[in-house]
Amino acid sequence: MNWHQHPDLLDRLAAEYALGTLHGGARRRFEAVMQAHPDVARAAARWHERLAPMDADLPPLPAGDALWARIEQRAFGAASAEPAAPSASAGQRHRDAPSLGETVQRWWQRWLAPIPAGALALGLLLGLVGPGLWPLLQGERDESQLPESYIGVLSAADGRQGLIVSSLRRGRTVDLKQVQPAQVPAGQTLFLWTLDAQGVAQPVGPIPSGAFTHVPLDREADAMFARAVELGVSLEPVGTRPAQPSGAYVYRGLCGKMWRVVPTAPGSSASR
Amino acid sequence: MTDDATLHQLLSRVAMQDRAALRGLYQASAGRLLAIVHRMLDDRGAAEDVLQDTFITVWTRAGQFPALRTSPMAWLTAIARNRAIDVMRRRRPETPLQWNDADGQEQQHDARDESGSPLEQLLAHQAEGRLGECMGQLDDEPRAAVKLAYFEGLTHDELAARLQRPLGTVKAWIRRSLMRLKDCLGEPA
Repeated sequence: MNWHQHPDLLDRLAAEYALGTLHGGARRRFEAVMQAHPDVARAAARWHERLAPMDADLPPLPAGDALWARIEQRAFGAASAEPAAPSASAGQRHRDAPSLGETVQRWWQRWLAPIPAGALALGLLLGLVGPGLWPLLQGERDESQLPESYIGVLSAADGRQGLIVSSLRRGRTVDLKQVQPAQVPAGQTLFLWTLDAQGVAQPVGPIPSGAFTHVPLDREADAMFARAVELGVSLEPVGTRPAQPSGAYVYRGLCGKMWRVVPTAPGSSASR
Repeated sequence: MTDDATLHQLLSRVAMQDRAALRGLYQASAGRLLAIVHRMLDDRGAAEDVLQDTFITVWTRAGQFPALRTSPMAWLTAIARNRAIDVMRRRRPETPLQWNDADGQEQQHDARDESGSPLEQLLAHQAEGRLGECMGQLDDEPRAAVKLAYFEGLTHDELAARLQRPLGTVKAWIRRSLMRLKDCLGEPA
């Protein structure tokens, strides 16, 4: 069934899914379609919005701290309260020195604050890039020494560097370097995404395992990365090509443009 | 009531694995979500389990939220409702024809006399705002079917048994009612 040829049917299914009357195999199949097709997911989300006022007048129930504690335990592996007596908790590995964790958290949060685009591309990228790449960012350098490239330095959630991603602007390959070996569960693969300014993800492709790897592109890197503000990597089942990430990003970072950008007119911002 | 903008911010930080933001999201929304799920399941323990699953899903899938272009509360509610429906379908494989009245006496559903039943209470309930007006424009029985489907998670078969109507009739009611609601509600602002 080509969903795009039957938008009315799709919308009716989305409506019944949101209402709750879709059930059994039909419901599971629709959920699978939603995962693979963002437009179907959006249709269902729209129906959930339409019906949401049915619940609006319901008085809230006190949810409580005990329930939160159970959620915390499952989500984070250990309570993030003060360190208790030493327990054989699997979550201990998530808890580095609290002050380091806090610092990393604040650093990540700063990424979300509105920052002028120029500062994003240059300032924060400078903060991420090691000393070896610093000379390349000095604008006066002879351009012939570095071909125009996209570069991203992606970090893991704990702030450690994970991946360096680069691609010649006119090239059709993305080069990846794993700064530290990634733990990839069996049956899964790292998968590369671009994120635009709204955080909407577009798939690039699965990342082979290894310290230095490549992902082929079916068009020039410019076509793929021109609108990318960030790059993200998620874990996906081997052999799939999802339309959106099925889980949180394991690596994420800015996508920078490594070439001299010439203003198109006096006083205008640099062309992108 | 926490506004959408706050929930949006919390969700984008949750997507970055910010634990404090997940807690903030819980504080801002869990009460409403629990009430919704509790009404469907009528069991506090089961409702809390669904809430747990909901927030775990949010923790892992917050990155998918922006692509949906929908309101945060609608998305959270959708996750919670879907979980609750899963629970209801698992624990209720047969068509429910009984309900317990205020005295705890088991009663049989009878379309001719539903006085005091949950159905009557449902029928009396009016949704807020524009949706409420649009629901009011539906005929009584189709509107009852929509409400039963939404609040009790009944399938077409279960609705047909509850309302003592043919399956085809119930399916048509649901389909037409949903399309009428869509037309009545119009496009998003």
